[in-house]
Amino acid sequence: MKLPRGRLDKSRVVTDPRDTLADVLDRELTGYAVFESQETLLLDGEGRGVMTFSDGVPVLVYHTGTDRGGPPALADLAVPGPYHVSLYTLDAADLESAHEAADLRVSPGMPAERLGGDPALADSTRRAAPDERLSAMGDGDAEAPEDGTADQSAVEAFLDDAEKIEAIKQQARSEARERAQEWDF
Amino acid sequence: MVEVFAVASGKGGTGKTTSTVALGMALSDRYDVTVVDADTGMANLLFHAGLSDAETTLHDVLADEAPVEAATYDRFGLTVVPCGTSLDGFRDADPDRLRDVVAALAEDTDIILLDSPPALDSRTAVLPIVLADRIVVVLQPTIPAISDGLKVQEYATTYDTDVAGLLFNKIRESESIEQVSEKTERYFDGPTLAAVPESERAREARRAGRPLLAHAPECEAATAYRAAAESLTVRDGAAADAADRFQSAVIPESL
Repeated sequence: MKLPRGRLDKSRVVTDPRDTLADVLDRELTGYAVFESQETLLLDGEGRGVMTFSDGVPVLVYHTGTDRGGPPALADLAVPGPYHVSLYTLDAADLESAHEAADLRVSPGMPAERLGGDPALADSTRRAAPDERLSAMGDGDAEAPEDGTADQSAVEAFLDDAEKIEAIKQQARSEARERAQEWDF
Repeated sequence: MVEVFAVASGKGGTGKTTSTVALGMALSDRYDVTVVDADTGMANLLFHAGLSDAETTLHDVLADEAPVEAATYDRFGLTVVPCGTSLDGFRDADPDRLRDVVAALAEDTDIILLDSPPALDSRTAVLPIVLADRIVVVLQPTIPAISDGLKVQEYATTYDTDVAGLLFNKIRESESIEQVSEKTERYFDGPTLAAVPESERAREARRAGRPLLAHAPECEAATAYRAAAESLTVRDGAAADAADRFQSAVIPESL
């Protein structure tokens, strides 16, 4: 995915990608966000996740570490926080050619629903999306555009990544052991 | 016989309390069930069980101001131990006393369900998982819910607590859950007990301060909870040493 650099709008560390999605929607940002995991233990920690937005509504997702786009890239992006997130603004015209990459697309509500785990935010995002986004998303994805079936692909892609899940489990186990001592159970 | 289950999720909003009460009611056909609001910082079991005006709660017991019997209420065929919602109550409560509470309740019931805090970030949040024999993990088909559910499982198993099963909750009508639940099961030590549909009845029940299984016993969600309870095989614990078992529940020494 090639994007013009854009103007850096915000750069901060967040624990939950949901907060970034809510913020972007709120401010109707046109541009993109770069998610960089602060977690070096995890395999995908090295790559960066890039998500583009039109008026606050997610359009494309791409992960530089795995070179995957669309729903699977959302799964790649899903590592335990915190993330370092940089938001860049662009003119809508600058995103036009990038947004032609249909294989990198996600449906408007999918990031909030599946990555953010916030159905209410997903609903607000869908309401903010232009009609053609809601009807066009079915193409090449699933039979119905904004239903759960299409959205599930991100969750399934996450579940297909056995190595990452093992890393999450391992991290939790070592955290649990450390804390047992700290908490003096 | 007594077995203690912590109903847990790593994330809030999964419908954990609704699930705890529904499982409890469904299990109460076969067992004597006690439900405890172990989410002492964000209690809401009382609102689900019509106990919002309960005078004595778990907070008072944990503050050593009342015996546990004073905070138990018989509602909807269950023994319910609600928790209060005041900040003062939370501040004065000593979470470690939860061990004694569980030990005392264990002498007189078949099943204890602990509605656990949706977090792993403090001793108080994790204690119910440590005290339980097994956990029921409440999930939604989203990446954070599953990822947090995995963490809950790993904490539990690290502390020698087993996994009884998974409960997928708030499934939308359009969602096909089979593949997600099948793939999820690969990473969990327990089976999917049920997939519970998102339910307007559950919201109504919550507003009415009644458990779902009392408010709309025939609805799809209630049926799913009954199926979950049905597939849960309760293990026979030794009643005699129940008190000991919970009072001495500690992290295994192998750590």
